[in-house]
Amino acid sequence: MIRFSQVNKWYDREHHVLKHISLEVKAGEVVVVCGPSGSGKSTLIRTINQLEPVEEGEIWIGDVQVNNPRTNINRVRENVGFVFQHFNLYPHLSVLENITLAPMQVKKLSRAAAEERAIALLIKVGLAHKKDAYPANLSGGQQQRVAIARGLAMEPKVMLFDEPTSALDPEMIGEVLKVMQDLAESGMTMMVVTHEMGFAREVADRVLFLDHGEILEDTTPEAFFTNPQHDRARQFLKQVLAPMHG
Amino acid sequence: MDFSPIVPALPSLWEGMLLTLKLLAFSVIGGVALGTVLALARLSSNKVLSLLAGFYVNYFRSIPLLLVITWFYFVVPFIIGWITGTNQPIGAFTSCLVAFMMFEAAYYCEIVRAGIQAISRGQVNAAYALGMTYGQTMRLIILPQAFRKMTPLLLQQSIILFQDTSLVYAVGLMDFLNSARSQGDITGNLHEFLLFAGLIYFIISFGASTLVKRLQKRLTV
Repeated sequence: MIRFSQVNKWYDREHHVLKHISLEVKAGEVVVVCGPSGSGKSTLIRTINQLEPVEEGEIWIGDVQVNNPRTNINRVRENVGFVFQHFNLYPHLSVLENITLAPMQVKKLSRAAAEERAIALLIKVGLAHKKDAYPANLSGGQQQRVAIARGLAMEPKVMLFDEPTSALDPEMIGEVLKVMQDLAESGMTMMVVTHEMGFAREVADRVLFLDHGEILEDTTPEAFFTNPQHDRARQFLKQVLAPMHG
Repeated sequence: MDFSPIVPALPSLWEGMLLTLKLLAFSVIGGVALGTVLALARLSSNKVLSLLAGFYVNYFRSIPLLLVITWFYFVVPFIIGWITGTNQPIGAFTSCLVAFMMFEAAYYCEIVRAGIQAISRGQVNAAYALGMTYGQTMRLIILPQAFRKMTPLLLQQSIILFQDTSLVYAVGLMDFLNSARSQGDITGNLHEFLLFAGLIYFIISFGASTLVKRLQKRLTV
């Protein structure tokens, strides 16, 4: 489904942020990407829909090479949902309009069809009663659930999550993770950058550990948590797990 | 001081005010539209486009409006005649309108540009991530938010333009100020008419400015 082949990326031609990334994610797989801040994990998933360009290598989704200049990147992005750390809902549009805008504009769905789909998704994320509210009047957790619904409204083949719970108050993290877990169980192909190790343990099929732009671990959650191969992964786990277990 | 001749002159003063307002309205609409295009060009990743727009803005901001008005009075009919192949005079109103639009566009451009830059990069990314094009992103996501933020500044600039429209006296247009002056000349009460015109300009500009400030407060809350 998603394939990286020898991908390299530099910032300002000197800071090597992604180093020789090769990786394959199968359809239906849920992959958690973790690592210390600055490790390149957000950059990694942003290259999949080319919010970040890469200098070397190939990135494929299905049989389309996304970093080929001849590829119409907008057609690729239609099929790749992306959820941001800071939600990025459109503040001047209602919840319903946030969700229906792209299906109507990009996929040329009729308003009726787009609204029907939006309301079904809002029911799924438990926010049907907020359809006429504006983002400013929602809590962070509610905004993020709307953002997930907005991504799903395009009926994507892949969903990418860039630290979806990092900007949330602790009591709202659970509601967003629950929506993501339901989505994973429905068979969606997902890549999730997160520090939520509970989610990784319970929901992920695979865990990637990045540090300094390299994939150091690429394994099952059990293996990652019980027997990490690299020192840096062990240190990282110690740090992120410590506060949870007191 | 004798203000009584003003009363019979009110119809012609009103005619003048209508011309002023018409000139203002069209100039604002055209100026904001052109200014928005210039702002998008200035922010464009296309270096040539951005340099050209930057040159336009800096050029028009560095020359006096009166110069543009008189210059366009002579040049615009010539250009239009050259394009359409006819030799019909287009009149002072049209040439003034073009002059105001193009001059004000430089100022509106800078306001709109700041407005666009004030919208977070995340909004653009969110639109792109859903497969929207640059045009859709600007039209549906960025510009509506930018204009909401920038409306008070655009209105303030338009109030300045309202006062500047009086410069059309240079090419003989009968706007509000010019008709007040000519009525004053006719009746021999020039001072009274000019005082009256000043009062009207003050009431409109100050009133509008107060309303804009109130709007600004409401938008920031």
